[in-house]
This record gives sequence, C-alpha cells and structure tokens, in this order.
Amino acid sequence: MIKKRSIPYILIIPLVVSFALFMFYPLYKVFENSFYEASFLNPFMRQFVGFENYKWLFNFKLFNPKWSYFMTALGRSLLWVGISVFLKIILGLGGSLLLNSKYLSGSKIYRTLVVVPWAIPWAMGAMMWAWTLNSQFGIVNSFLLKLNIINSPISFFSTPLTAFLSTIFVDVWAGLPFVIIMLLSGLQNISESLYEAATIDGAGDFVKFFKITLPILKPVVLTVSLLSLVWTFNSFDIIWILTRGGPLNSTETLPVAIYNVSFLMTRFGGIGKASAMTIAQVLLVTFISLIYIKILGKGAES
Amino acid sequence: MRKVLVVLMVLVLAVVLFSNEKVLRVLMPIGGGYTIEDQEVIAKEFEKENPGVKIEMEFVGWGELWNKIITSIGAGAAPDVMYIGSRWIPALAEMGAIIPLDEYVSPEKRALYYDTVWDTVTYNGKIWGIVRAMSTKVFIYNKKLFEENNVKVPTTWDELLEAAKKIYNPNEGIYGIAMAGKKFVSTVTQFQQYLYANDGRIVDENGEVVINNENGVEALNFYVELSKYAQPGILEWKREDLIKLFETGKVGMYIDHVHNALKAIEKGVDVGFFLIPGGPSSTKPYSTVIVTDSIAISSQCKEKELAIKFMEYMTSFEKQAEWDLKLGFVPPMIKEKELPEFQKWYWKPYIEVIKYGYPEAVNIKDWEGVQEVVLEAIHSVLLGVADAQSALDQAARIIEILQK
Repeated sequence: MIKKRSIPYILIIPLVVSFALFMFYPLYKVFENSFYEASFLNPFMRQFVGFENYKWLFNFKLFNPKWSYFMTALGRSLLWVGISVFLKIILGLGGSLLLNSKYLSGSKIYRTLVVVPWAIPWAMGAMMWAWTLNSQFGIVNSFLLKLNIINSPISFFSTPLTAFLSTIFVDVWAGLPFVIIMLLSGLQNISESLYEAATIDGAGDFVKFFKITLPILKPVVLTVSLLSLVWTFNSFDIIWILTRGGPLNSTETLPVAIYNVSFLMTRFGGIGKASAMTIAQVLLVTFISLIYIKILGKGAES
Repeated sequence: MRKVLVVLMVLVLAVVLFSNEKVLRVLMPIGGGYTIEDQEVIAKEFEKENPGVKIEMEFVGWGELWNKIITSIGAGAAPDVMYIGSRWIPALAEMGAIIPLDEYVSPEKRALYYDTVWDTVTYNGKIWGIVRAMSTKVFIYNKKLFEENNVKVPTTWDELLEAAKKIYNPNEGIYGIAMAGKKFVSTVTQFQQYLYANDGRIVDENGEVVINNENGVEALNFYVELSKYAQPGILEWKREDLIKLFETGKVGMYIDHVHNALKAIEKGVDVGFFLIPGGPSSTKPYSTVIVTDSIAISSQCKEKELAIKFMEYMTSFEKQAEWDLKLGFVPPMIKEKELPEFQKWYWKPYIEVIKYGYPEAVNIKDWEGVQEVVLEAIHSVLLGVADAQSALDQAARIIEILQK
C-alpha cells in the first residue's frame, strides 16, 4: 500500500526523469564538450584541453581585427536582444491596453487575429517577411513608393544596418502575440472597482495607468519580459532564414555564430569551442535573468 | 490470452533473428526538384530485383544535408550510402568518412562520363563518389529587351558590361542583369562563374590559394562593376530567386540552369542563351562552373557489396538518363546527349559549354569554411568596406589556413 504522502512524488517522477533526460543530460554533455578539443571534421579525435576553449573565446579573431569572434557576436546579440525585447514589451503593453479597452468594438476579432503570427511556424513567418520586405516584389516597398515616401525601393536586407533592424522587426512581429496575450490576461484580472474608486477621487487616465495598472501588472510584465528575453536570446530560425547572419556578419548573433562554429567554420572551431560559446551564453542569460529578477522583483514587493 | 501473446512474441523474435533480410540505409535530399516519391520508386524497384534486400531511405532538406552527414558520422550512425554535394568530398575524404571507389569503377563505367565530371569527384588522385546530377550554367537573356536596346549578344566582358548598361533603366524598373549576393552557397558559385571565366581559381591545380591573384581581383572588380546595372540591393538575392525577377520580363540577362529558362519561356519571355564569355585575362573563349552531386559510400557501411550494387544500379545509363530527363539536369554521361530530349535548342548551350567547364570545388579541402570566407570578401567589396585586392588578400590568408 502506497502512503498518501508519497503520491505527489511518484506523480512527479515522469517529469523529473524527462527533464533530466532532455534538459540536464544534453546540457551536461555541452558542458563536458566545452573542455575538449573536438570537431565533426575529426570525429575520432577528442582531447581534453582544460580551459583552452574558453580562452579561445577571447583570443580568436576572424574578420574583425579588434574584437574576438565571440565578443563581436556577443555584443551584437546583446544589442539585438535588447532592442527586440524592449520593443516587444512596449508594443505589447500598448497592444494589450488597446485590446482591453471598453471602447474598442469587435475586440474579440482582434484578439483572435493577434494570435496569428504566433500560430504560424517561425520559419514560415520569416519566409513570408523575406518576400514582404523584398525590394522588387514586397508590398511594403510598393506602399512606400505609392505614398511617395520613398523614390526608389529600399532593399531591407542588403545593408548591414537595415538588415539588423529588419531582422529585429520580424522577431518582434513573431514574439509580440505572446506578450500581448499574457499582458491582456493580467489586465483583465484588475478589478474594475479600483478604477471606479480612482475616478471618484478625481484621478485622470495617466494617473490611473501609472498608479493602478502598471503596479498590478508588474509581476506579469516581469515574467513575460524574462521569458521573452530568454527566447529572443536563443532566436535562430528567423535570422537564419532572412539573412544567414549577413550581410557582412551584421546579423550574426550568438546562436548563429555558434552554428557557424559547429558546422561551417569547423577547422577554426568545432564542437568543443561551440560548446564553450554555448555555456558562456547560458551563464550570461542566467546571470542577466537573476539580476533582472532581483531588481524588478524588489520593485514589485514594495 | 497470455499464451497467445507469448507465442506471438516468440514468432516475431524468430522472424527478426532468422530472416536474412539485408538493410541498406540511404540518405537522400529533398527540395530543389527532389521529391520523396521519385526517389522511393528507385528503392522499390531495386528491392524488387533483389529479394531479401530492404532499402531504407532517409530524407533531409538540402540546407540540412551537410549537418546531417557530419553529425551522423560523428555519432557512429552514418547512413551506408549518402547523396552528397561533390564539393564536400575533400572534407569527407580527409575525415575518413567515405571510401575511395577506384576499384569499383570499371573502365567501361569510366568511359561513360566526361573527364571533367570525374574531376569533380576526385581528391588526392582517388575517386570518392559517382556523379548523380550535374549542372552547367550559361547566360539566359531576354531577346525583346536586347532588340529594343539594340544590344548584340556579348562575346567579351566589355560587351557584357555594355549590354547591361544599355538595358539598365531603373526608372522603368528595368535592369541590365540580375545578380546574387545573399549569404548562400549559390552566391559563391555565381562569383566563381566570373572568376573561372577570367582563368582565376580559388585554389589551383597544385593546391595553392590563388583567389587573390590578378585574375581574381579583376573578376571581383567586374562583379561589383556589373552589379551597378543589376537590380538594386543584390545582397538580398540568392540565385535561386532570380528567376522570379527574370520571369517578369524586366531583366536583360542572368546566369542560371536550363530548367529556370524553361520556366521563363512558359511565362512568355522570349528567351535566348549565350555562353559566359571569357574575361580579359582568359585563355578560353567561354567558361562555366561544373557543379555535381554524387553518391558516396560511408566507411561505416557494413554491407559494402550491396551498397556498391545499389550505387551502380542508380547510376546505370538507363536510370541516369531517366533521372536527368525527369529533373532537367545536364547529362553527365557522354552518350546521353544523343537522346531526343537533349537535341532541343535550349539544351544545346548547356551541353556545348561542358568542354569549357571547370569543377566548382576541386582541391578545396573545407568547402563550407571557404564559402563563408569568400562571401565575406564579396560582401565587403559590394558594400564598399574594402577594395577587391585587400578583401581577397584577407580571404586568401584564411583559406590558406583552411587548406592545411
């Protein structure tokens, strides 16, 4: 006879086992590999090299003479993720407030529509945008030309700056629905009576937003932005399909660089070095997340 | 009930243990005209002719083929027979991942193909694959735009540039030439067309890196010069997508496969062909890059005899001709050109140019790495970050390390 107290533990076993199998084991393998010299091009050679791969992160320079390959990709990644997450949260907040508004008729239709980008597989969404933003066939250029905003079509993916911004734009498009929906559910939990009380006290819309909506929504914003940060950091497919990290490596973020080091620049890199890059990324994202929770978490308590 | 189950299990076990069905794992690509159905037909036919043999085909998209191959080799689970881009042969041979096939290639088999076809699968003096698909490329041009602008078919680079200039009319959305610049393998091949046409090479016959010699610099400068009369922002285009632009009838010319030319004809474009003219430093009047895909056998394969048999079956004259006709590939076997389909006017230039061709990746030890480096050089010159000489010097410096 199984004691009642042990039932929860038994029920949780499948989760723990699958978590260990599919999360910890691969992560452990990556961690282990990061101390070895190993490459797909030389599958039978595996040599322990200690911290050499981590030193390589800061020493190996490829196209950029000033910064190491890893640091260049890292810097680019931080900028890319920073802008993308910031836009997702700001636009997400605006979008969810709009959808929550009493004055918006047909909000149910919009709520359904807003999920669409999320429901489309990312790879397909990226393909769609590649053609939407195309300089010859894209509807965006067509509109801009018709409205006389531009004289000649813009090739969004052909210069480093526009490619960088365009990939962010597409990433924001793909990630926005999640943010909007989560924030919307947070908004709907705010009791109407709070606003009524504030109205009686003579508070305006801005005061209501900053004194009622935002403080109550803070935990949701915190969670959503954290998740969004982690996901955006790992974003690979959108960039890979749109630009493959080009032109001139301008969109080569850390995940793209890790892929390149594992599969394309194998002679310079290999799995060992790619693993070291991955571990560095994991540590960095964990570190940023912890700081984030600490700072914003405190704010939420007060 | 339980008894029945036990009996069943014993039966299944017996069948598994005592059946001497031989299984051959074959890795095949999908996409770019390759369908699962077409390829499974070959497996089924082979199984029918060879009872007791099971062909297990695994399919993976072209974009993931390289990763799939090297990861499965690393994991010790490589497919027995692999369909590969011949440009990967040096790397795979160096890895010890595939076996040399010289002893299995009979003199008759050898004589079936053009010499240059064998060059694409030869590394260190040995044959590592049997060619399954081949492509050459020539210029496809819009006859109407040529006539309207009074342009003759170019036979030199000067004439080529002149033609592009004359047709170029961006206000009307008409471009002299369509070009590729996206970070993608076909962009490297597009550049190689000009590089080879100018007697340049990435790596020469002796394995020396020569991409930054005069011929190479001249070719890259010409590529950039020509791009001024191409559609704007060529860096967002890969060669595979250029047909969409050409089909609209707003592009003078571009370099591509025959099957894309046929697509344009279907859309009503009056299409003509001309061979890629040799550059100012060239000794030959014309040029093309010979690209092949081949079938290789993994060194982890335990059923070598069977693998060889299947490979020979797939690449027999009949099967090869059937395949080329179905997919619209340039015939790698000399005799194939006598087939009625290959007599058609649009096939002629593609077959004629074979004799001027040079393989895409001969002597290049690490294609994937070289590809990244060459793309970096092309991008930096197209974006005006570096001049052709310094960009190619930098590329050569890195390729030299990759060649070690």
